[in-house]
Amino acid sequence: MAEPVIRFQGVSKSFGSKVVLQDLSLDIPRGQTTVILGPSGTGKSVLIKLLVGLLEPDEGSILVEGVDVATATEAELFEVRKQIGMLFQDGALFDSLSVADNIAFPLRRHTTLSDEAIAAKVAELLAKVGLEGIEELMPSSLSGGMRKRVSLARAIVMDPEIVLFDEPNSGLDPVTSDEIDALIGRMKDELGMTFIIISHDIVGTFAVADKIAMLYNGGLIADGTPDEVLHSREDVVRRFLKRNMELPPL
Amino acid sequence: MSSGPLISVGRYGLFVGAAIRACLAGRWAFREMLEHASTVALRCFLPVTITALPFGAVIGFQGMAILDLFSAHRLISSLLSVFVIRELAPVIAAVLVAAQAGSSFAAELGAMRIKEELDATSVMSVDPIGWHVVPRIGAMAIVIPALTILAGAFGVFGGWLVVVGLEGQPHGVFMAHLAQDLTTFDLGASAFKGLVYGVLIGTIACWKGFNATGGAEGVGRAVNDTVVLSVMFVLVSNYLLSSLLFSGVFR
Amino acid sequence: MITAFVRSVGRYGLFCWDCGVSAWRHGVRWDRVMGEASKLGVRSFGVLAVMALFVGTNLAIQGHAAFSALGAQSLVGMFVALAGVREVCPLLAGTMVAAKAGTEMTAQLAVMRTKEQIDALEVMAIDPRAELVVPPLLGIMIALPALTIISIAIALGSSVAVAVWQLGLEYGDYVDWLVSNITVFDLTAAMIKALVFAVVIATVSGWFGFFSERGPIGVGSATNKAVVVMCIVCITLNFFLTTVLYG
Repeated sequence: MAEPVIRFQGVSKSFGSKVVLQDLSLDIPRGQTTVILGPSGTGKSVLIKLLVGLLEPDEGSILVEGVDVATATEAELFEVRKQIGMLFQDGALFDSLSVADNIAFPLRRHTTLSDEAIAAKVAELLAKVGLEGIEELMPSSLSGGMRKRVSLARAIVMDPEIVLFDEPNSGLDPVTSDEIDALIGRMKDELGMTFIIISHDIVGTFAVADKIAMLYNGGLIADGTPDEVLHSREDVVRRFLKRNMELPPL
Repeated sequence: MSSGPLISVGRYGLFVGAAIRACLAGRWAFREMLEHASTVALRCFLPVTITALPFGAVIGFQGMAILDLFSAHRLISSLLSVFVIRELAPVIAAVLVAAQAGSSFAAELGAMRIKEELDATSVMSVDPIGWHVVPRIGAMAIVIPALTILAGAFGVFGGWLVVVGLEGQPHGVFMAHLAQDLTTFDLGASAFKGLVYGVLIGTIACWKGFNATGGAEGVGRAVNDTVVLSVMFVLVSNYLLSSLLFSGVFR
Repeated sequence: MITAFVRSVGRYGLFCWDCGVSAWRHGVRWDRVMGEASKLGVRSFGVLAVMALFVGTNLAIQGHAAFSALGAQSLVGMFVALAGVREVCPLLAGTMVAAKAGTEMTAQLAVMRTKEQIDALEVMAIDPRAELVVPPLLGIMIALPALTIISIAIALGSSVAVAVWQLGLEYGDYVDWLVSNITVFDLTAAMIKALVFAVVIATVSGWFGFFSERGPIGVGSATNKAVVVMCIVCITLNFFLTTVLYG
């Protein structure tokens, strides 16, 4: 397995008396797609927010490209974040900006590219996510699936090393949901970036994952290739998977 | 203000009409009104009193400076009480209640609209105007006059702190002139102003909240509009009420 | 309750400090600042003009009611000048901007918090304070003093109209009394008050919006709290500013 790009070491996080993550250790391999699975309310979102430094862990370290985001200064954190793109649950597009301006936003703020180069890049990315020619639309007029696609275009506009997907299927109908899964699969092959997908959608997950980590009660109950996870003897894992998949006999 | 102020005025009128109809038909919740009234009173008590106090103090302070020129210090308390009770107390109570309770009414009703609770109320064949709107307007109409009197008392006390406490005027002199130009009519007029503002703020807040659209932004916009419109109409109607009440027509 | 209050004040202070640091580190985008200032000026002007108009008329009527008993009609002009310039107009413009621009800023930030847009900025390595709080803060600091001066002009003008037409005072005498009681210091003091109010309005509304709870109820309650706190803090500070400036 390739050298890990992200490494969680003994991470714990609680809110008040509610323990969300407890002594969690996890490696994310470079250039592969890791899916973090788990029922809702098991700290998947917390894990991602810890990773980008939006939350601080109570204990443990989180190394992203060798920098511990738990103890990094603001400037170091900003450097780390420039290597990360993130697709938010509902897109988190800026309502006051058009689609093109939303995608161009990180470019305008972090690079000195000319307007023409930016426009070309925006058009290229929109084509990549299958939405040519919607540059001038406003986010409020987009459907849920389109918002996610635009948000994905914005997430990869800086050619980041790592792309995070927070529940890419949430709030979508089954057809759109499948389209997004297909898009993620295509992106994975085209871009060769490290993808981390947080999801509770099992079928779509197994189609794209190189590695699956399953969270339950603040800890990992499964960590391995899809095949390994399918053959897990852990009772909770089997129950969780059973609802949606044909499990091989033990 | 939206693109068509006249259309807005018309819609507001229809809304108030619906509230009046629900009220006259007896389709409204009395207990709810008392509950809202006590919540509003509790939540607005502190904001009203702690703003009335420094306001009275400023009037005492600047009033002393003016009267200094005429060596007429002894008149400060009568100036203070007339100005605070007639003008300041109703406006302070109204603006603070608009900011605190008016905006929270708009937010509550707006959130209920967004979460389809108002539709649910209708589907259960309970009139949402009688159940959610009229009690809130009634609560405002009860509470603002009471808070007006309270603001008057605290405003005068704020003035007393500066005039007697800071500038050293004897307490007896202050008290002797306090009610010199003040009549019971002034107190009644002050409370009446509060009543008018209560109805104004209550209807504006409920109207804006009841008709909120567009998710969380819509709620924010309803709250924003409520505060701006309330403050504006309080100031405008204050001029009209003052001209009417204190010009001698009713004396 | 008191410890909770002290803790909130501490957090608010920290937020203000962070905003200052952000502005220092990431620079100020003056085009955005001027945009905010002119937007605020244009949007608030109408409402403020109406309010100032009626404040002027009220002051004249009240001054007349209070001082005609003394037989000192000349005092009406002086009262309007002093009360209007020193106290009422700065507070009026402040309250108006708090109600309009302040609540708008809180609601907008709270919505952005709800929709994870503030998180999105952070992940894009853009400081959300420098992006979302600093430009409106400086914009309000530019616009509010200007709006204060405009409201003073309108209020004084409308008081003249009422004094002459409704109260029957002599135009020349009234204007004389009005003008001779306004000094450059009074106007400067009004601007200083406006600047202080601007900082309070922008930081308080920024704080409540930035750290609002998610969802429509969170947006509503953040906006609600912000406007009340702004009113109370501005009126209380006004008293202290008056004692310091005129004491």
